[in-house]
Amino acid sequence: MIGRWFALLAARAIVRAGARVLTWLTLAAVAVAAAPVSFVCAGAVAVAWSFGWPPRRLLAAAAWCSPIMAVWLAWTASSAGWMAAVSAPYRAWADFWRLAGHGDLARAAAAVAPAAIPLGLAAGALVWAYLTGALAAGVGGLSPASAVAFDQRQWRHQALWARARIAVPGAVPLTKRGDIVVAGAVIRSVGRSAGTLATIGYQRMRSHQVVVGTTGTGKTTLLLRLCAGFMATGLRRHAKGLGAPPLVVVLDCKGGSDARRIADQFGQVLRQAGASSTAVWPDKASLSVWTLPPRQLTTTLVDLIEHGTGSAAYYADVMDALVALAVEAPCGPPGSATDLLARFEPGWLAAAYAGAGTAADHVLIRSASRHLTDVSLRLRTLFRRLGTGLDGPGTFGDADAWYCMLEGTDQIPVAEVQARALVDLLAHFAAGGPSQREILLAVDEFSAVSRRLPIWQLYERARSLGLAVQVSAQSWQGLAATEDERYRIAASAEGGIWLLRTPHPEPLAALAGTRKVIDTTRRLGRFPVWRRHGSSRLIDAPVVDLTLIRALDVGQAADIYRGGVTYVQVKQLDAGRAALRADTETRPADLRAGANHASAGKTAPQAQWPTDLPDVAPVLDAAFGPEPRP
Amino acid sequence: MAGGAVPSPPAGYADRTQRADRERAGLIFVGEMYGVQIDQLALVLDVTPRRAAAVVARWRGAGTAEAAVLSGGPRWVWLTRAGLATCGLRYSPGTPGLSRLAHLRAATAARLALAVAPQFTAGGAYWRSERRLRARMGGKIGQCEHVPDGEVHWPDATALPWAGECWAIEAELTPKTAARTVTIMRELLTRTGDYGCPAADVHVPGHPARHARAVYLCSPAALPVVSRARAFLGALGARVEIRTLPAGAALPGARAADREEHCR
Repeated sequence: MIGRWFALLAARAIVRAGARVLTWLTLAAVAVAAAPVSFVCAGAVAVAWSFGWPPRRLLAAAAWCSPIMAVWLAWTASSAGWMAAVSAPYRAWADFWRLAGHGDLARAAAAVAPAAIPLGLAAGALVWAYLTGALAAGVGGLSPASAVAFDQRQWRHQALWARARIAVPGAVPLTKRGDIVVAGAVIRSVGRSAGTLATIGYQRMRSHQVVVGTTGTGKTTLLLRLCAGFMATGLRRHAKGLGAPPLVVVLDCKGGSDARRIADQFGQVLRQAGASSTAVWPDKASLSVWTLPPRQLTTTLVDLIEHGTGSAAYYADVMDALVALAVEAPCGPPGSATDLLARFEPGWLAAAYAGAGTAADHVLIRSASRHLTDVSLRLRTLFRRLGTGLDGPGTFGDADAWYCMLEGTDQIPVAEVQARALVDLLAHFAAGGPSQREILLAVDEFSAVSRRLPIWQLYERARSLGLAVQVSAQSWQGLAATEDERYRIAASAEGGIWLLRTPHPEPLAALAGTRKVIDTTRRLGRFPVWRRHGSSRLIDAPVVDLTLIRALDVGQAADIYRGGVTYVQVKQLDAGRAALRADTETRPADLRAGANHASAGKTAPQAQWPTDLPDVAPVLDAAFGPEPRP
Repeated sequence: MAGGAVPSPPAGYADRTQRADRERAGLIFVGEMYGVQIDQLALVLDVTPRRAAAVVARWRGAGTAEAAVLSGGPRWVWLTRAGLATCGLRYSPGTPGLSRLAHLRAATAARLALAVAPQFTAGGAYWRSERRLRARMGGKIGQCEHVPDGEVHWPDATALPWAGECWAIEAELTPKTAARTVTIMRELLTRTGDYGCPAADVHVPGHPARHARAVYLCSPAALPVVSRARAFLGALGARVEIRTLPAGAALPGARAADREEHCR
């Protein structure tokens, strides 16, 4: 009985081994018989492996090659009839072996190529899909760790390929047809279909975005590229009559000498992208808070001053009332900080409202007059912090791109106040500016000013104002002071989240959600041999690979958008040669109001181009008549 | 003999000399402009079209020019290889392209209209044709530089306020897209180097612009787009002058959209 049982076991093993050998032999025979297709298939799989291509790329290649076969068949049909076309692949195969048998390999390859190349590529796509699918499911490889090693190797290949692609001149343009901004080359995508270029639609650029990455990971490079892409695409759309002209405003909340270097780079890059003029605040251009409507000016000034709670609220109300009286005086709103401070001199308010104003105003002036000196002192402190950069002249409409430097590293309170004022000015400009613009506000190193700048409030009303906000921070914690605010900012980022290398990506990565994957267990035979028996199940795995995020190289970013992620090698913009002259970095406010600056003792404005060109109308009128009206 | 009176030239000598000078200038004009129609050549030679046709017949006899009906209106004249060599013009000979005839006529009309302006003569200005600019670029085929339809140079040291300037002239018959027009305007106004200069000199930050102005001569169809493009340029647009094409710029019998822009 035992002998029979052993015999049965042995027979079963022999049959199994025989079947396996037979299968392999059959496959080998088919591969040899279809040698041209097998050769192309093997080559395709090798290329896909070395470049880290997804299987669909091979399928696309097969589709692109299929016209060769179609033309070949059509030519055969036209010259020898339809029956000849039907049998053409077989005859090509037969010719291949015949010619190869005679040693004429070149002619043999040429005879079979029209059919072998598309078929080989398609077969390669199937084989590559099987291999990658098996490894992703944990079935392939000698051990469960094979899938991990394979994935890491593929990542290296894909990253290498993406770096090579961005190094080719002209391979990664800034924009593409169809109002698309190109961020760089795709390394890998999960849950989204992506080609070789990482593209962002203009409408997505018009939505809020969040960028998080530690220092030196390429945040600024990404920011510059997105800004330049927004500018170039916006200008093209405007030229077509499809939208308002774009305006890019960058708040660099870090400051320092590094900010000035980036500001230079920003100016060059934006001018190359088509901006007529760029401005650097406060070094080379100024803005004016005094252009705000009186009521809003009052609110802004009062908000800019920090107030305590409890009994301090009483003084806040007093200050609010007095500032309102000074700003909304019958003689008109103040035109400068000096003008406003002069209104807090004893007797000025009484004189200004004499014969005007309501009885309530007069009562308020009398009762609050003893606080005038205190309010004036606080305003003086505020204006000292704000500096001269906000004392005008100038508005955001004076340039196409603004780079605003806030000294958030050295003087955090100053940067906070300036950021708040600039955002208020921009919101006013967006809401009721004289010329409508499509605005991108990029706040770099937001953590420096996040305490006083509740940007999520702006987020919520910005969309209707035509204002897109892009916030960047070094970490999740740097996005806002509280967890609630951080989630508000991240959750409102309709335009996507850009994750660069960061040690704590979990909260942002979680926003990408999960996807269904096959999880397979394999039975351990004897270490280090795992058997192919086990079980599989569907599990929800995170879309974003946290390990990859923590290991991202400089210039690599994960673009999380609509439940998918695309890993991108960002292409750095070359700011070496400006499209326009270097001195087109204008002082727009200076150009508009040179007299004010002259009176303030500043240097005379320098025009970007000679603005005092002589009038050539006489010769043109004589030759061609007067200028026509369009 | 030494003390004898210098014999006076025969009667009509001065006229003949003047005419010969004009014909030589006309020959060069034709070579510079690729080709012209006989009615425009008559304006250059300051003779009637019938007389201009006779001059052309003489040129053809000498092998310096060819003439044929290429479009509606009078015949077109262009220089042969021998004619170009006679004029010292190192251009490639050839019949004017049919697709460019309307554009060539418009550019010639612009040049003629400007030439009769009193300031043009007073300022000693001269026209540098597109053919000359392209010849300067030599074999740099494939460069994406836009070449204007002509340049007008106003030499220094004249009393004109704009002396020393160089203008780019553009004849716009058919409207391009506004984006393309803006790109061309910006390229013309920001260019720093001459045509044919090394690529690194084409746009050099800090150097003065080559063209002080760009003069756009527009057909009614192209005018709105050009005006919009100029407005779009902002401050840079102050250096763009817009006028209508002069009378006689349109190709006789041609449809407005002569598709010449597609070939540029």
